[in-house]
Amino acid sequence: MKRVLTLLMAVTLLIGAFAGTAFAATQKIVFCVNIQPQLPVEYWQSIADAYMAANPDVEVEIIGQPSSNVDVFQYEKTLLATGQFPDVMVMQNPADFVPSGALLPFTDEELSYLLDPSLGKIDGVQYVANYKKQVIGVFYNMDMFAANDLAVPTTYQEFLDVCEALKAKDILPVSIGIKDGWPQIMLANMLAGTDLLAKNPNWGIERNADLVKFNNPDLVKAMEKYQYICQNYAGDSLPSITYTQMLEQFFTGQAAMLPMGSWVNAEVAKGLQEFEVGWFPMPGDDNANVLSVFVNEGLSISSYTKYPEVCKDFVKFFFSDRQLYSDFLKGEQLFSTTKEAVPYEMIPLRKYIEQAIVGMQEVEGFESMTGDAAFLPGLKDYYTNKLTQNIAIGNDVATELDKFDAEWDIAKDALN
Amino acid sequence: MKQNKLYDTIFLAPGFIVYILFMIVPVVMCFYYSFTNWDGISTTFRMIGLKNFVTLFRDASFFQVLKVTVIIMVVTSVIYNVLGIILAALLNDKGKLSSISRSAIFIPTVMSAVVVAFIWSYMVQTNGGVINSIILALGGSAIDFYKTPLTTIFVISGIICWNSIGFFVVIYLSTLSTIPQELYEAAKVDGAGWFHRFRHITLPLLAPGITINCILAVAGGLKQYDHVKVITGGGPGGATQTVTLFSVEKAFEYNRRGYSSAAVIVLFIIIVILTVIQLSISKRHEVEY
Repeated sequence: MKRVLTLLMAVTLLIGAFAGTAFAATQKIVFCVNIQPQLPVEYWQSIADAYMAANPDVEVEIIGQPSSNVDVFQYEKTLLATGQFPDVMVMQNPADFVPSGALLPFTDEELSYLLDPSLGKIDGVQYVANYKKQVIGVFYNMDMFAANDLAVPTTYQEFLDVCEALKAKDILPVSIGIKDGWPQIMLANMLAGTDLLAKNPNWGIERNADLVKFNNPDLVKAMEKYQYICQNYAGDSLPSITYTQMLEQFFTGQAAMLPMGSWVNAEVAKGLQEFEVGWFPMPGDDNANVLSVFVNEGLSISSYTKYPEVCKDFVKFFFSDRQLYSDFLKGEQLFSTTKEAVPYEMIPLRKYIEQAIVGMQEVEGFESMTGDAAFLPGLKDYYTNKLTQNIAIGNDVATELDKFDAEWDIAKDALN
Repeated sequence: MKQNKLYDTIFLAPGFIVYILFMIVPVVMCFYYSFTNWDGISTTFRMIGLKNFVTLFRDASFFQVLKVTVIIMVVTSVIYNVLGIILAALLNDKGKLSSISRSAIFIPTVMSAVVVAFIWSYMVQTNGGVINSIILALGGSAIDFYKTPLTTIFVISGIICWNSIGFFVVIYLSTLSTIPQELYEAAKVDGAGWFHRFRHITLPLLAPGITINCILAVAGGLKQYDHVKVITGGGPGGATQTVTLFSVEKAFEYNRRGYSSAAVIVLFIIIVILTVIQLSISKRHEVEY
């Protein structure tokens, strides 16, 4: 009897052990996401759940940056270095990963659902399915403008006149801070867009081919404008102002204008401000027809994945599930990148921006140019944390741009 | 005897293995990578000799971060030791508030550096910071603690010291407790005042404490990362960046792990040299009784 019982137990344990593998999902992929207040882990999990419901033989595991102050794109580098590179991931700087052969290319056909499958190709190869477009502009306090008889500026000089008029009335004209490192680049990008990239859309590619330098008259002019605004119209606390404080200064009516990306629409949508918020593109010398956009983020697939077809299908699913994709866009009131329009509940300001930008010349955000125009590894960080900060606090523009060129030489040398 | 050796080995093995794995191996690998062009993510890389070190010594930004690191190290070391000795001397007296004072000075030491840095970065904010709010409430005008890179470095150094000085005070207190009271009594009989007793008895006999504290302060100052990372992130424009921040930035943002390793190796060599110099100087000043 004892023998029979022992045998039965052993068989049961054996069946139990194998049951886990026999009935478990046969194809498991890991999806690394960017967890943000507007896109919490629950949102990303809902994509995984919907995909698993439609594909019962696939298991999708969601991972994200371990802490809110960890950049997910750097976290992905750590994952790659430690042999834990996810199968599918949000991606911002594919050029950082391509030299290591870590990313799987997409064909144009595989991304045929996108409006521009060629956007951001590196050496003619696409590694990212771009999932959003964000525009940069100047949000302004319409009530404050009206109370001071100010019109929306359409030239750079008019912009300075508006700033001067506000300053004369002890109103902080522009909310900018450099403490967090990145928010100030919005103004710098727009000016580089109007004065440099609008004139030569291939400038980024030419820089990477070493045909042009950062220290050139057009970029010097743009950065001098940026410096002038920072030094004269951003208040005395520029070095200690964070992004949160920038928002606070604007939405509490302490500052009249906020140069920022269209994700600020999400803040406007909260409706906490006691005034109407307007938007205009940063004007150039003669007009306000140049629009800086960010199109540098999307989904990528690891070249090490065991299931490339599943991953590609998962990426397609993200775009083709209208509800999930519109939820994604709604969080930050983004612009879709698919051929088919994706309607979602937009605030009036977001609708206005969509109409206002029709016919404008689009240029990519200077430091976030994509594909062959993308900055070499590390230079985006240098532009954000060094160049634009040093210029904002008053350092000589030409000298800083020379240093940037020297950094480019070092970065290029490191790639060889 | 043999059995004792076996026990020694068994008991030492876990700690020794952990030490080898997490201290020795990474240091050796760091040395190795400093001679390569590894980007930190590729599976292949090649040896490039001393190229990383040559580039490093031609890189103006490395000397800038080295300068910032040295300033932080000097300022914190001076505060730790001068203020540490003074506080220890004051706390050594068995007054009524002695225990409370000792606890008050030691409590920040057990707090996380990141937490302390976050708290202080909100305290010293120009707009809405606690310190400036108090100044404004008292009728003064707000102080911009981040006005210049140098003031920012001093503010960071002050915060680091607030966080860690308790540890140094404890070491000085324990060293003070080893000084025989008879020496003070004899000096008093001979008519020595407070200053002379401090100068000729306390200070020379504190030498072992000064040695260890100076070594810890210098090494800690040169390795400074967490406070700077939280308070300024190395900004504005890299003006408060330290060697460790520089190294992490090069490794994870610039994809230049080999170059980053070279920077760390240079820092390692500087710490070793300074420690040896400190030890040789301190040995000459230590007295026996």
